[in-house]
Amino acid sequence: MNTPSLYFPVAIGIFVSVLIVVAGYYYWRSRRTSQVSFENLFAQLKWIDRNNIAQVALDLVDPSGRPKVDEAAATMEPSQLWDLIGGLDGLETMERNSEVIIALAFYVQRWYPAALPIAERLRLDARELKWHVARLRGAAQKGNLQISFPFYAQRAVATYYLMTRRVLDLYEAANFSTLADLQRAL
Amino acid sequence: MHLTGLDLLFWAAGFAENLALLLLLWYRRRAKAFPFFTALVTLVVIKTLALYFVNLYGTKKDYAHVYWTLAILDMTLQLCVVYEVASLVFRPLNVWAEDIRSSFVWLISLSLLVATGLTWMGSVPSPTWVQALTTKGNLFASTLLSELFVAMMGLSIKVKLPWRTHVAKIAQGLGAYSLISVLIDTGRSYFGVSREQPGFVAISHVRMAAYLGCVTYWIASLWPDELPGRTMTAEMREKMFTLQAQVAYHLQDLRSRKK
Repeated sequence: MNTPSLYFPVAIGIFVSVLIVVAGYYYWRSRRTSQVSFENLFAQLKWIDRNNIAQVALDLVDPSGRPKVDEAAATMEPSQLWDLIGGLDGLETMERNSEVIIALAFYVQRWYPAALPIAERLRLDARELKWHVARLRGAAQKGNLQISFPFYAQRAVATYYLMTRRVLDLYEAANFSTLADLQRAL
Repeated sequence: MHLTGLDLLFWAAGFAENLALLLLLWYRRRAKAFPFFTALVTLVVIKTLALYFVNLYGTKKDYAHVYWTLAILDMTLQLCVVYEVASLVFRPLNVWAEDIRSSFVWLISLSLLVATGLTWMGSVPSPTWVQALTTKGNLFASTLLSELFVAMMGLSIKVKLPWRTHVAKIAQGLGAYSLISVLIDTGRSYFGVSREQPGFVAISHVRMAAYLGCVTYWIASLWPDELPGRTMTAEMREKMFTLQAQVAYHLQDLRSRKK
């Protein structure tokens, strides 16, 4: 076999090996996700002070989730926001919890396909939350966190707050017996 | 073309299994949900029959013409099945999920680039340029298909879009077969595409065996129904729809708000 023809089978061998490893990894992840129980998901939720979250979110939206449009909207001081949210660490905890919230919504959707639009909405909201947090991480790297924090953080918290309300409403609508546990956690 | 007993056995088994899968798709009402996949299985059934009769009554040239023409059609339908799977996974609400578009375009571009690169590297010893071109085409297509299925799998898990059971089974079957086909087409590129070549017949049998395994997997997976949803009471249904409306309205409102 001459040198050029050796490259081809070697390249194919590497290509196939990489694809098998990647496919195997994602197959394992998908199996793990599809078989997860409510208890496992619930255990992944990190504690966040819901009163603080509500306080920050309700400065931007009303209790039903409708954005405030008058002068009473977004009146919190940046330092107050930082304390209530727990800084960037607090937002990162919300980011991780938002992943669990999506999984909780898809857990309901397994039995009630009609829940799909809500699960999809929550999935997109989690992406939005991630986007806000990513902006703040970028700002932190550039030393602009103090300027950017109030704007992005409060929106991220409002999105997270609405996500928690929606997932609770979803569990209530689906008559899931685990609603009480979830209410305590969120 | 002289066919051995093993050739005929594979041929008959392939025809019987594909026919069984086609009947299953219609009888279990899966054809409506997977029109391209059904079209692909239908084509394989027609192809098996057509090639059998052309082999019996036609010339060698007729056989080659029919074989390569149907091979191109087969490959086109396989790409259509990729689209079908992608649209079932990434269009959960009948529109493409807005957060996957750029990743999807990026993954398709990368897959095309890798498939082109690998195909370009292979050199096919074959009697005619048409066969060389088609062998390279097959290698390109199987490389691309296997990449796309793995990419879709990875992307869906990353963005947390779940797969329904039947879609997942079709994708897994075709993805695994494409991956095996990459190795087989590499072998063909290496040994050549003439039946006189020693490795060609053995490689063809491996491909047929792999495809039979794949069809058996589809038959076993597509026969049972997917996990049925629980029945909702009228009150639950009302709550769910109210919730859907609230979610759509409030979050859109919040997003559109400019400060």
